Amino acid sequence: MKIRIKLLAHYQQYLPPNCSSSSYEADVPPDARVEDVLAGLPVPVEESVVLVNGRTPQPGQALQEGDVLCLFPAIGGG
Amino acid sequence: MYGWNGRILRVNLTTGETSVEEVDPRTARDFIGGRGWAIRYLYNEMDPRVDPLSPENKLVFSTGPLTATPVPTGNRYMVTTKSPLTGAISCSNSGGFFPTEMKRTGFDLFIFEGRAGRPVYLWVNDDRVELRPADHLWGRTVFETEDMLRAETDPRARVACIGPAGERLAPIAAILNDKHRAAARSGVGAVMGSKNLKAVVVRGTRRIPLARPDELKALADQVVEEVKQAVAAGKATLRTYGTAYVPPVTNEVGILPTYNFRTGVFAGAEAISGRTLNQKYLVRPKACYGCPIACGRVTRVEDPIFGGEGEGPEYETIGSLGSACGVDNLAAITKANYICNELGLDTISAGVTIACAMEMYELGLIPESDIGRPLRFGDAEAVVEMVRLAGLREGFGDLIAQGSYRLASHYGHPEFSMSAKKQEFPAYDPRGAKGMGLLYATSNIGASHMAGDTAYMEVFGVPKKVDPLSWEDKPRLVKYFEDIFTIIDAAGLCVFLSIRYLFEPTYNVEPVRISRLMEYATGAGYDEETLLRAGERVYNLERMFLVRAGFSRADDTLPPRMLHEPMPEGPAKGHVVELDRMLPEYYRLRGWDENGVPTPEKLAELGLL
Ligand code: SF4
Repeated sequence: MKIRIKLLAHYQQYLPPNCSSSSYEADVPPDARVEDVLAGLPVPVEESVVLVNGRTPQPGQALQEGDVLCLFPAIGGG
Repeated sequence: MYGWNGRILRVNLTTGETSVEEVDPRTARDFIGGRGWAIRYLYNEMDPRVDPLSPENKLVFSTGPLTATPVPTGNRYMVTTKSPLTGAISCSNSGGFFPTEMKRTGFDLFIFEGRAGRPVYLWVNDDRVELRPADHLWGRTVFETEDMLRAETDPRARVACIGPAGERLAPIAAILNDKHRAAARSGVGAVMGSKNLKAVVVRGTRRIPLARPDELKALADQVVEEVKQAVAAGKATLRTYGTAYVPPVTNEVGILPTYNFRTGVFAGAEAISGRTLNQKYLVRPKACYGCPIACGRVTRVEDPIFGGEGEGPEYETIGSLGSACGVDNLAAITKANYICNELGLDTISAGVTIACAMEMYELGLIPESDIGRPLRFGDAEAVVEMVRLAGLREGFGDLIAQGSYRLASHYGHPEFSMSAKKQEFPAYDPRGAKGMGLLYATSNIGASHMAGDTAYMEVFGVPKKVDPLSWEDKPRLVKYFEDIFTIIDAAGLCVFLSIRYLFEPTYNVEPVRISRLMEYATGAGYDEETLLRAGERVYNLERMFLVRAGFSRADDTLPPRMLHEPMPEGPAKGHVVELDRMLPEYYRLRGWDENGVPTPEKLAELGLL
């Protein structure tokens, strides 16, 4: 199934080459959990905020077709 | 004394007399410095019911014990006074270079009283204190004023001043220092204007004596090293993008203020982001004194309509002058930011007030003839023009300069003002971050992120992520963050570094490193507990100022939109702020009665009786 992976702030350096927006489409197995997808990303997950459709996912949460998985560094400031 | 100079400069503008006072060590320790000392003096010396723009109001500039020390970001000062915007206390905070220079004159605080008969400025060159005529500066912009003052005092001097907005007593006027840094909120610039005080110019050469300088230096160096390592590892978000990295983040969470906080989702979030700023307008990052982070932005816009150069914008400005007004044109937002700095206006209040006027215009509640032009959401040129008119208080700008509450009330609909205690919201829609809702409602200074920014945990995951949509855990979180921000302010540090590097990453955000730094600087006997207690003491004394000024539970509230209109879309869809459920628990944790008044027991416990 297809989901979107969105990387914000300096995680944009991990976007695929030629990616002009902040997100890209990814193909994941139909039963993929959030953790499974995170394990395959080149991003320091433990220093990150992880969101699914803008909300904090539950541990072990299964992803659905069309979900947006977003990561950004835990920095703060505004 | 160590850390503190222990000296206050009192300036009576009515008589032109100045005097120097010593601070007793107990007061120094118990009230930390900065904002804490300021409220201690104001509370003892003035009636909180006075008219904020009368000579009876006092205006305090304060530095903290860590200002001008080797502690990174020890570069803050605070402006405390009775606010003409809110009628409550102000705590407006700024960095740059002025505060460090001010502390090096050998004074921790300047207290201004009365009102000068003619425009004046204060020139403090170490021990030499002089009130000088400022007729030639009156009417000048912030940038012109600073250039002229450095030329006629000392090219190394630092300047804090007001622009035309402050002179014309705009309740949303700021005090700018180092041209582009602002003690922006609560209309502190108008108080300065009401006193005919155009500027404060400082040149200081003293070193701040430290109780345990070697230990302080070692810990400060360690923190700097940690920041540098993060930078080297490519993790320098704030240096790379400034706080402008935030709009896509808050948009993702669904709390980026859009169309006067009707919604928290903005289609133009990417267009107003740090990435766009870097591609188009960034000249270089800029740091305040002693800061390894450098979140400041030196920018230049080449554009036939919105061209200019200066500093900014930062996130709050983008959210207010941008998305809240439906504007996705970053050149226009940047230009409006430059004008705010030049004329001396708070960008947040200016932006959110324009957004309020836009909504009311679109609903037919403000006639076009009053404004002199259409004022629709998304009209970038209109935002720039309104900011200019507000800074000069000309035409419709006269109403904008008074803030959204007065503007909306003028047309009979205060409910369109997105404010708490009449101060405009910063750029987080609290329906999607409930702690921010409780914070805005209860904050002593009215809506502000600087009063205890729980978005750190609710949105940014620092030091740890909590669910922004839950409300049950927020009273506790808000109290902690308010007390911690009080400590950071009073110590003279910048929040951006402090929260991440000077507190332990536990739920309680224990102030381990900051208490050590405070002890190394002052030797006054600080540990975690005494410091937290001191933060709480200061917060309660500020609250008592409000109580005496006539504030009560009825003022700890939010606009009806936040309480009754569910967020229409996005991740926070369907949510409102459950204020009624959070408020009693918050009061209980604070040791306040059901009216939000500190109980005698609480005051006694804090040594405030
Ligand atoms: S983090 Fe930004 S605001 Fe804070 S001291 Fe550094 S440059 Fe100034």
